Parts: sequence; structure tokens; C-alpha cells
Amino acid sequence: MLLSVRDLRMHYKTKMGYVKAVDGINFDLDSGESLGIVGESGCGKTSISMTILRLLPDNAEFKSGSVFFDMGNGPVDLVKLDESQMREYRWRGISMIFQAAMNSLNPVYRVGDQIIEAIQNHFPQVPVDKAREKVAELFELVGLDPSRMDQYPHQYSGGMKQRAVIAMALACDPRVIIADEPTTALDVIVQDRILKEIRKIQKKLNMAMIYISHDIAVIAEVSDKIAVMYAGKFAELADSVTIFKKPMHPYTYGLMHAFPSTVGEKTDLVTIPGEPPNLLNPPKGCRFAPRCPKADELCMNEEPRYIEVEKGHFVACHHPVKSGEVVQFYEQ
Amino acid sequence: MLRFLSKRVVQIVILLFIYVTIVFWLMEALPGSFLDKYLMNPKITPEIRENLKRQFGFDKPVLTRYLYYMKNFLVLDLGVSFSYFPKKVTSIIFERLPRTVFLFVTSTLVSYAFGYTLGKRSAWRRGKVIDQVTTFTGIVFWTIFLPLLAIFNIWLFGVILGILPLNQFIDPNLWRNVSFSAQDLFLKLLLNAFIFLIVFLTIMIISRRLKTINAKRILLYVSLIGTIIISISIWILSGRAIYAWDIIKHMVLPVFTLTLYSFAGSMLVMRDTMLDVIREDYITTAKAKGLPDKVVRDKHAARNALLPLMTNFVISLGFTISGGIITETMFSWPGLGRAYLEALSQQDTPLLIGLLVFTGVFVLIAHLVADILYAFLDPRIRY
Amino acid sequence: MVEAIIKEPLWKIRLKLWARSFKTGWELFREKKLALFGLSVIIFFAIFGLVYPLYPSIMRAVFWKDDPFGYQTFAPYDPIIGFDPHIMNHPSPPSLRHPLGTDPLGRDILSMIMYSTPREFILGITAALITVVIGTIIGASCAYYGGVIDTFFMRLADIVMLFPSLALLMVLSAFIDLTLFRLALIIGMLSGFGSITLVLKAQALTIKVRPFIEAAKSTGASDAYIIFRHIIPNILPLSFLYMMLNVTGAIFTEATLSFLGLANIRMSWGVIIQMAESSGYLMGASIGTYWWLWLPAGACITLLCSAFYFLGRGLEEIVNPRLRKR
Ligand SMILES: Nc1ncnc2c1ncn2[C@@H]1O[C@H](COP(=O)(O)OP(=O)(O)O)[C@@H](O)[C@H]1O
Ligand code: SF4
Ligand SMILES: [Mg+2]
Repeated sequence: MLLSVRDLRMHYKTKMGYVKAVDGINFDLDSGESLGIVGESGCGKTSISMTILRLLPDNAEFKSGSVFFDMGNGPVDLVKLDESQMREYRWRGISMIFQAAMNSLNPVYRVGDQIIEAIQNHFPQVPVDKAREKVAELFELVGLDPSRMDQYPHQYSGGMKQRAVIAMALACDPRVIIADEPTTALDVIVQDRILKEIRKIQKKLNMAMIYISHDIAVIAEVSDKIAVMYAGKFAELADSVTIFKKPMHPYTYGLMHAFPSTVGEKTDLVTIPGEPPNLLNPPKGCRFAPRCPKADELCMNEEPRYIEVEKGHFVACHHPVKSGEVVQFYEQ
Repeated sequence: MLRFLSKRVVQIVILLFIYVTIVFWLMEALPGSFLDKYLMNPKITPEIRENLKRQFGFDKPVLTRYLYYMKNFLVLDLGVSFSYFPKKVTSIIFERLPRTVFLFVTSTLVSYAFGYTLGKRSAWRRGKVIDQVTTFTGIVFWTIFLPLLAIFNIWLFGVILGILPLNQFIDPNLWRNVSFSAQDLFLKLLLNAFIFLIVFLTIMIISRRLKTINAKRILLYVSLIGTIIISISIWILSGRAIYAWDIIKHMVLPVFTLTLYSFAGSMLVMRDTMLDVIREDYITTAKAKGLPDKVVRDKHAARNALLPLMTNFVISLGFTISGGIITETMFSWPGLGRAYLEALSQQDTPLLIGLLVFTGVFVLIAHLVADILYAFLDPRIRY
Repeated sequence: MVEAIIKEPLWKIRLKLWARSFKTGWELFREKKLALFGLSVIIFFAIFGLVYPLYPSIMRAVFWKDDPFGYQTFAPYDPIIGFDPHIMNHPSPPSLRHPLGTDPLGRDILSMIMYSTPREFILGITAALITVVIGTIIGASCAYYGGVIDTFFMRLADIVMLFPSLALLMVLSAFIDLTLFRLALIIGMLSGFGSITLVLKAQALTIKVRPFIEAAKSTGASDAYIIFRHIIPNILPLSFLYMMLNVTGAIFTEATLSFLGLANIRMSWGVIIQMAESSGYLMGASIGTYWWLWLPAGACITLLCSAFYFLGRGLEEIVNPRLRKR
């Protein structure tokens, strides 16, 4: 297994208490595979990726869990590494395409130089001209004119910056790329084109990817497996067909039904009545209970365990939706 | 770029003319004049009195004198000083300029170097003890009553420790029987410092090409120490080393005081800007790329904070000039600031006007240089 | 419910809103230790200055019981004409009767310092108030009207910023009798037309484009009404912050001018140090011997200046984390 995340917990310390943004996350990822994480904004998606890469703000407290990562010489628990060892794994092992790709490029350096910097940081023996060749290749790959590598970020359009950021993420031939809302800031047409290209490149280079988005349409387009996240936890994880055809968690069910088909009109997630819980003080039992039509006494008091109900299909629910069952969401 | 610059130059020239005009009329409005005081002297006969009046141009109406002044200003002639008659104002300025420039440049360079380093470190470790301590000390020095700092330094280093001379530019006893002038020697010292700066910059440029950090360090240390040794031996061989040393000793306290007083300005600006920059996404990206902490801090964060630092420099020029006047007064340092105070008490109007005009020109040139530097510092700025 | 809201008078709602924002501001402010430090120093000095009238009577009750005659005749605690005849050589070092010693004229230093304190406050706050009032009105008008008004005041600011303010004040001192109030007025105006207009204008520009300005215009509100009721209230927090920073500058400038003997102020912290300087106690080796002549007054100037600066910076982080200048 390339990447195995086990029982990952990370909380933010604030004046009001702990924000339980990542609260017991488990998943596996194999090379060539792509996992999509979908969930309402604020449910902790970005926090997961930052915890894996250990790029946390000062007020973050790592609680528990392990991140086993295999670079070809056996799984290593990233959590246990010291800072300088961890740096070796960043970008070379796991790279990222950030949520705000627009601002991911430093305005005062040439775009090409910023990519070369990443290459030379991990492969100091590579001379500059070799690195430039590599950048030119990457530019071709993401559909940018290589002659633009000596320009500054402000000379790029939004879509071009996005491509440059993707090129940068590919610079050290990483095993895994985490793409956090890679296209949210772009207009729909560019968004679509770039998604297709990312997917193509991923297939071509046989890389593993984690897509993060609040938009299930985006996730559906690019992922082999989909994890549905709710309030710091995974509610359900399965391959994308199963998630759409046979959702077992009432939340997933609600999502799918709020969003009739992959081709239909896009609807926002918030069509499930109610609000996601405050992560400072989440419900004691199932976190979805206040909004769940199937919730009962048990759900209020006891947290459902996250179990594998079928091979590769994980659900955290006391009363999973059976196939053919109709769940009705009411306005509260 | 050229179009922008020429537009800017035109703007600056207009501004300068307005400024000179205001200064001229302001001085004209001063009650009494040097001449009144001077002509009280009963030894001066009426003819000489008339003669002097004509020489100083006081027989003509103000407007004529103003136009005359502006005409002369165009050819960089600022008139003749009253109190140093018949010395020209420009020659007084240029005699004193090196000392002030030295004081100003050294303390500015040192304080910006300190401010930059401390500010970025303190922002990087926000909220930690060193951040709190540097911010606190910084603000206290930034708002300290400068004469107090000067007195305190004189007391501590001059009296208690006894390692530095109290004030003045040179020790008169030492210089009683020498054939060369202190000014001359001082200029040579300046030249030496300048050469040193050039060597330093050259080395910095060369060392960029070098691969390993160790090679950079060795080159830097070897060449710098080499230059120092060479300059010192030349001074010793010329037999003037003690005189040079005397001047240097006298320079230390004023420079130190002014530096201490002003470093916090740049430090606070650097810290505040860094705090903004650190929140930017490209800093997270740089960290995610696996770059070492120091590279992220220096290459990515601090570099982006340079521009506001420049702006701060330009804005605080007036403040630094005030600081210079106070420092020169406190240390009896015969520079432009002292000249200003003397001219004021002597009612030497031409010298006063000259000094103010000179400062104005200087500030405006600094603005222009800053405008040009902006374009180098930030690729987004293209005029 | 709706009626209940409407019945409440507008000023009451305003007051409530204001109180709420004050409360959240205070919560934030309380975490800034340096700002709290500044505030406490300011409060300390305010009290210090206010209790000045009590100082002579306390001293008399405690230390002059045996000599009411000397006390009455020579007024040993008068900050301007005081004199203590029991001491042979003035300046005298700190003693029980004179906790901070006496100056060369035999006046009590602590008394001089306390007497000056309210004056420093008055000067600093008056000057800063003038600066901020001018800066705010000009900044708001420049942003609102643009065009000629804007150009004029911006160029004016350029010229004002060209003058090194200390040098200019030194010249002005030659033909204006710089009393405390005049000095405050001039310092206030000099900085009011200077860089502060640029900052406040920038802030006002961000407000000008907000929808409620357009809305107010469409209801036919006059320009002055929009500027004073809509734009200025929104830049007021920033103005207030600059006021704190300007107090520092004003007190510093006054102290320097007094120290150089260029202001016509009978007594102030700067004057105390000038006294020591002009009577030759700051020359050469005697500096340390007569430390009470300069150290307490200098420390007061520094403390009060930095206190306002600390306070200003603390407020700055609440009001506006981005714009920063001295
Ligand atoms: N530095 C932080 N301090 C406190 N809370 C934070 C911090 N960063 C994020 N959060 C909170 O953690 C939760 C998860 O945030 P995030 O991971 O960014 O969510 P997502 O990416 O799914 O939108 C949110 O409720 C957010 O408010
Ligand atoms: S555990 Fe209960 S409340 Fe939670 S999703 Fe399942 S049925 Fe709903
Ligand atoms: Mg996010």
C-alpha cells in the first residue's frame, strides 16, 4: 500500500476549546489510484492534507494516528519523522496543488525558477540546465508554452497559473499528489478542461491522487474511490460507482439525492436541511444525528464505528440505508 | 520606465521650486536679520555699512532678491554665508557634508541591516519570548528621548567605561602639530570605507555563483579579512594610523547612538510586513516543497517584505534628519545638523536657506531612487 | 418582535452596537500585553499628574513639621520659583525632602516633573487631535471628491513631507513665540497636512466604493452629509489609532525643542533637561554625578512616548492589521 492513514486525529486549539477538525480518519491509497474526498466546506478536508504533510499552523495539536507512506523501501510512519526527515518526503513523496493556486506562486520570482527550486532542493546534483529542460517538459505536459517559464506570475492568467502550479506539483515525480479544490477559483469551462488534463496526466504517469472538493460533480469526474466527509470524520468510503448507486450512509444518500445524476444540473450540497455541527462541540453520538431522519436513541448516544461492510466499502452508521430503501429528508 | 522617470523628474523639479520658494519667503519673514545685529557694531563706519548692505544685496527689494536667488539656485549657487563671510554656502555645505553623510549612511545601513534581520526573526517566531523581547526593546528605543540616549551613552562609554572620547570630531591635543588637515584624513577614511563596501558587494555577487555554503563563507571571510588587513597596514605604513584611529574613535558613539535610536523603525515594519507575508499561500507552498525553514523565511518571506521596508525608508527620512540634527548637537559633531543650529542662532539666513534647500533636494533624490528600486524589487511594478 | 425593535430609539441601538463592538475590541485588546502595559503607564502618569497638588502638602506634613517658617517663605516645592534654603549647594542629590534632588536653582525636581505631566498630556493630545481632525476631514474629502481637491491636498502633503519637521519648527521658533498651545497647534497642523492624509484617504477610498454610499447618494443626501455621516465614522477607528501614534511624536518634538531652548515653555520635561545642559551639568565627567538632573525627566519622556506607541500598536492590530506606518 502506498499510503495508509490510520486513526488520524488533529485538533485546533482555540480560545473556546478544541476544534475537532480531523477526528479519526482511516483510508488506504494505492499507486495509480485516485481518491476523492467530498464534504461541506469547513468539515476538515484541508486539515487532513495539512496533517498528512505536517504543514500545520501553530495552534494545531496533533493528537494521534499514523500516516504510513511507502517510497519503495517499506512503509514509514511520517508522523514519527523529525522535521528534516519529513522535508525529504514533502513534494518528492507527496506534493500538493493548493486550494488557492492563484496565490501559490511567489510574485517576486520567475515561475520557472520556482519549479527549479523544488527540483534542486530534492536533487541537488541536477544542474540548472537539466532542471530547465525538465521544467520545459512539464510545461508541455500541462499545456503551457515553455517559453513562458521566465515570466513572472503576474504575467499569467488564472488558468495559466493553475497549470503552472500543476507543473510544479509534478516537478519531483511525486508518488502522491493532493489536489485541494484545485479548480474552485476558476470559471467553469477552464475548470473542466483542467480537471480532464489532471486526470489524463495522472493516468499517464500512473500516480496516486487525492482530490479534495466540496463539489461532488468535480469529485465524480476524477476519482476511483470517494470518501464522504462529515464534521471531521469519514461517513462513508467506497468506489465511485458504489457511492452513487448504493450509498449506505444517510448523509451520502442525501447528497446523491440532492444531486440527481452526474449529468443533471448542479445543485449545492446544502439541500439537506439543517447545519453541519460546530466542530468545537460536536454531538455526542453520531455527528449527523441532528440532521438524520433515521436517527434514534442509539444514534444520539453512541458513535457509530467506521466498519467495512463489504470489501472496500466503509460506513459509519448504526442504521445503514438498505438498497431500495427510501429516506425522506424533512425541513426541520 | 523612461517615460515614468521623466514624468517623475518634472514633478520633482516643480515640487522643488515650490519648496525653495516657501523656504525663501519663510526666512524672509524672520524678524531681525544678521545684518542688523552685525551693523550694530559701532566700529563699522557708515560707508562700510552701506557697502556691506550692497554686498549682501540688502539694498534691493525682496522680490528682486528672490528672483536673483532662484536664478542662482538654477546654477547651484546658494549665495554667500553671513557668519562665515565671504565663504560660499555651497562650500560650507560640501565641507561638512562628508561627516554628515558618513553618520547618516553608516547608521542607516547598520540599523536597516539590524532591523531587517531582527524583524524577520521576530515575525517568524511570533509570540515567542524573543519576539516579545525584541518588540519591546525596539519600541522603547524607537520612542526614547534621543538626547537622553546620547547623554546615557556618553556617560556609559565615555565616563564609566572610559573607552570612548566624549564628543567632538577630533582630539585637539593630538592634532596640534600636524601638517595635514583632519578633513583630508577623514575623506581618505571615507574612501577606504567605500572601497570596502565595493569589495563586499563584489564578493556577494561572486559568491552567488558558488555552489556550497562553505565555499561562500570562506570566500566572504577571506576577502573581507584580507581587505581589512590591507587597509590597516596601509594606514600604519603611512604613519597616520593614530590620527585615523582618533577620528574613528570619535565616530563610534554618534553612529552607535543614532543606530540604536533608529533600528527599531525598520525592525517593526519588517516584523509587521513579515506577519502579513507569512499568511500568504506561497509560503505554505514553499514549505510544502520541502524547503528548509531558513530558505522559506529568507528567500520567500523576507524578500517579499523588502518593498514596504523601502517605503518606510523614504517616509522616515524626515525623521532620520531630525535625529541627525539632535545627534550632531549632542556630540558636537561638526556636520550639517550642527551647522543648521549654528546658522539659526547666528541668523545666518543664506546658510539656513541653503541647508533646508539642500535637504529638500536630498529627500527628493531619495524618492526618485526609491521609485527606481521599487521596479527592481517587485516585478509587478513596471512603469 | 418587529415593533419592539422599531420602538427602541435609534440612539439606543447605536449605543448598543457601539458597546458590543467596544466589548469585542476590548477582548482582543486584553491579549496584547504590550498594549496593556502602555495603557497602564498612561494611566499611571495621568494619576501622577493629577495628584501633583497634594505633593507639597504631603511633604510639609511629613518632613517640614519642624520648620513651618522656611516652608512658607521659600515655597520649596514650587516648580518655577521654588527654593530650599536649608541646602547649601544646589543641585543637591535626592534626599528625604527632595526625593529626586534639586536643580541648580534649588527647585525640587519631582515637583517639576509632576507639575509638567498634565501639560505633556495636554500638548500631546491637543496636537494629535488637531492632526487627526485635519487628516480625517481632508482624507475623506479627497477620497470622496477626487479631482482638483484631491490633487491639491496630495501635492500639499508632498511639500509638507519635504520639510524635516524638527528643522522647520526650529526656524519657526525664531519668529513665533512657541507657547505650549501654539506649539501643539503647529505640530498638529504640520503632521495633519502630511502623510496622515495619504493613509486616511486610502482607507476612505475603500469605503467610498461600498454600496451604502451609492444608496445615500440616490436618496439625495448632500455631500457633506455623506462625508460626515457615512465616510468619516468608518475611518474613525483608524484615525483614533493614528492619534495615539501622533501623541508620541508631539511629546517628543516638544521635549526636543524645549531641550534645545527653542520653545517658550516655562516648565516641561524637556526644559528640566535643558536646565541641566545650559548650566553645564551635562558636560564631561560630571554627567553621572548629577544624574537626577536628566535621568528622571528623560525617563518620563521616554516612558510616556513609548506608552502611547504601545497603545497605538495594540489598537492597530485590532483596527487594521494591514496598514502600517510610523
Ligand atoms: N488554524 C485554525 N485554527 C482554528 N480552527 C481552524 C484553523 N484552521 C481551520 N480551522 C477550522 O477547522 C475546520 C476545518 O477547516 P478546513 O480543514 O479548512 O475545512 P475544509 O477544507 O473542509 O473547508 C473549520 O471549521 C475551520 O474553521
Ligand atoms: S448513525 Fe444514526 S444518526 Fe448517524 S447517520 Fe446513521 S442513522 Fe443517521
Ligand atoms: Mg479547504
